[in-house]
Amino acid sequence: MAVLEVRALSHSYGAKTQLQVRAVNNVSLRVEAGELLGVIGHTGSGKSTLIQHFNGLLTPSAGEVLLDGENIFKDKQTTHAARFRVGLCFQYPEYQLFEETVYKDIAFGPRNMKLADDEIDRRVRKAAQFVGLPDALLNKSPFDLSGGEKRRAAIAGVMAMEPEILVLDEPTAGLDPKGRDTILNLVENYRKETGSTVILVSHSMEDIARLATKALVMNRGEAALFGTVDEVFSQGEKLVSMGLDVPAVTRIFLSLHARGVPVRTDVYTTEQATAEYLRLLGKGARV
Amino acid sequence: MDTIIQLKNVSFAYETEEEEKTLAVKNVDLEVRRGEFLAVVGHNGSGKSTLAKLFNAIHLPTEGQVLVEGMDTADEANVYDVRRRVGMVFQNPDNQIVATIVEDDVAFGPENLGVPAAEIRERVDDALRAVGMYEYRLYEPHKLSGGQKQRVAVAGIIAMRTDCVIFDESTAMIDPKGRREVLETVRKLNRELGITVIFITHFMEEAALADRVVVMDGGSVAAEGTPAEVFADTALLRRTGLELPPAAQLAAALRENGVALDGDTLTPETCADALFRAAQKAGVV
Amino acid sequence: MIRDITIGQYLSGTSFMHKLDARVKIVCTFAYIITIFLCKNFWSLGLMVAFAALMTLLSRVPVRMLLRSLRPVAFILLFTAVLNLFYTKTGNVLFQWKFLMLTDKGLFTAIFMAVRILSLVSVSALLTYTTTPTALTDGIEKLLSPLKLIKVPVHSLAMMMTLALRFIPTLIEEIDRIMSAQKARGADLETGGFIQRAKALLPILIPLFVSAFRRAYELAFAMECRCYRGGEGRTRMKQMKLGVRDAVTAVAFVALIAGVVLLSRFFPAVI
Repeated sequence: MAVLEVRALSHSYGAKTQLQVRAVNNVSLRVEAGELLGVIGHTGSGKSTLIQHFNGLLTPSAGEVLLDGENIFKDKQTTHAARFRVGLCFQYPEYQLFEETVYKDIAFGPRNMKLADDEIDRRVRKAAQFVGLPDALLNKSPFDLSGGEKRRAAIAGVMAMEPEILVLDEPTAGLDPKGRDTILNLVENYRKETGSTVILVSHSMEDIARLATKALVMNRGEAALFGTVDEVFSQGEKLVSMGLDVPAVTRIFLSLHARGVPVRTDVYTTEQATAEYLRLLGKGARV
Repeated sequence: MDTIIQLKNVSFAYETEEEEKTLAVKNVDLEVRRGEFLAVVGHNGSGKSTLAKLFNAIHLPTEGQVLVEGMDTADEANVYDVRRRVGMVFQNPDNQIVATIVEDDVAFGPENLGVPAAEIRERVDDALRAVGMYEYRLYEPHKLSGGQKQRVAVAGIIAMRTDCVIFDESTAMIDPKGRREVLETVRKLNRELGITVIFITHFMEEAALADRVVVMDGGSVAAEGTPAEVFADTALLRRTGLELPPAAQLAAALRENGVALDGDTLTPETCADALFRAAQKAGVV
Repeated sequence: MIRDITIGQYLSGTSFMHKLDARVKIVCTFAYIITIFLCKNFWSLGLMVAFAALMTLLSRVPVRMLLRSLRPVAFILLFTAVLNLFYTKTGNVLFQWKFLMLTDKGLFTAIFMAVRILSLVSVSALLTYTTTPTALTDGIEKLLSPLKLIKVPVHSLAMMMTLALRFIPTLIEEIDRIMSAQKARGADLETGGFIQRAKALLPILIPLFVSAFRRAYELAFAMECRCYRGGEGRTRMKQMKLGVRDAVTAVAFVALIAGVVLLSRFFPAVI
């Protein structure tokens, strides 16, 4: 059974005025346990609105969100419980840090779950370990950390709730290549070690291509493409027509194809592109 | 080509309560040439942003000298003149827009310079056209996208008729579409209006478009040269926590496998051209 | 969505009212508000209402928009009307039932109060509908400029007002974002006693303040980089120039006030 299922979900802002905007329109999807779903789309494509339904922060205008087969909008308790079952980490999460110490900040979620002190302690330390924050930093003020450390502390705050599904909205926004790799690696390790489901919203197709097992492309509030990463990324031209930033290698191969070079256009990683080009030249990859 | 900004053995330390001051910028010698598009790259904490703020007297050097058109930025009397020549676009688009209407915001700089009203109007319209935001002149800034806000910020600087614009990680917080918009605007200003551009970024594909790249690491200049020269040194990039632009990564992987690629392979366009030529040479097209 | 909120409530347009000088509009709005409280009979009140209607026509602001601005004061309006209706004990009794007594004077006072509040709110709304926040603050700055002589920092005050207006939507968006983020971590903002709720606000207020200070700091840098040095030596793109339109408006207002004074002389006060 799918751990998360979305059925014909729509969300409109300003429902009662003429200025009604359909931010999400009739989106359906299924995510199996342990998967990593990458969500791609422009700013304003509805992806941020969509993910805020997964933990019940937003209530759909129509449609359902099912966690383990149970509609989270069934009653108030179920909706509230969804907050902890689906951990949602917003864009630029470092701006939500507020406690005196990093430890207390990471403990904020577990404390709201009304857990016992020793359980909270275990979770805080485990989450800190996942994101690579040494013990020495836990007693520091979150405002004294470096930018990258703040980001990781904030992500740990969501991980410490030990949600079944971890949703990260643009976790690498504004980071340099090194910072981005650190975050992506820790997300991947977290998923491998805990077996949790992860949903990763990103502008970077390269990041999605690298980590995701499935991909969802949102365009103008609709699920334009949904499937395995191979299925989605093989539609390079369609992605370009939506004005999305396809990986540079995909763009190169689309350009070659357009000039009559007999190459596949469904390549999206450097490795695939290298292998495909070598095949074209009749050489084998020297790996 | 003459020099617009010159850094002579510049060091800078942030003021802290601790005794030991760590230098954010160490002994930097650098010349910015008039009309060039200079990219400054480096990982977070490499000193690239601190360096940017030394160019227009936001920071004053702890040691050494920064000369803007021959004026020493350390001299209080020069600060105003330095800033009217060297403008800056910041990282967060929201925190640099002053007015509640786009055109009023663009007018802010010229107003501060005491430009006569009719001329401000002209400059504002020109600047908004140059960045492609003229149709939005009566919009409220918060209704614009990140890329559009940054373009308004750029217009606000060029309306001051500055010779040089520094972009301090101005593309870091906006989405790929906005980034493309800003980058296209920057290249256009550089080519068509001859404005000197200093572009601070950690996106290597952006740096690939510059005339010259400076790599910062640990507060010092680790390398300097054309994008082709700098990106040829993969060991340097690895050491400084940077990476090749994606197109160049592919080209490097192919070269490792014995494919001979000639010419520039730094951007997707040039790389595709090189691959096409190589395919023709191999007779597979 | 939050992006849709409008700073102030300016409606763009090119009507007569839109083109009027902001200073004239501000002064006239104040004059109007004072004058309407001088009206003591239906003739003068009628004149004022007719004038407000004329201004609405000249502004081309849809009546629907004007009614929307009245919504927040609906309760006050009803409350004062009812209060005046039944608490005025003087005048001729029109109707009595147990302790409820309605006199003609009570009825008139209620009508007057209601009409006054309605016109007052409508006229102020017209001002904000037809004047950009920038023009409004510029107008206030110009009108208050004589105070510079007694060392009141008029320019700084006006700049602060502009910046406040500019950052209201940004900060509202920020509050929304922080609240969502903390709710996602299970923050409970709805239940509990007073102290508990006040405590529950900390996770929102602290990040909000941290962010507001960061923004202020960056904004100050950005302003300095654009050569801002306070009001000295500054010019303005939008020059305020008084034209024929403004003169006509001023004359019309003087005539209106004179008319109200005359009507008050010739007709007896009813309240």
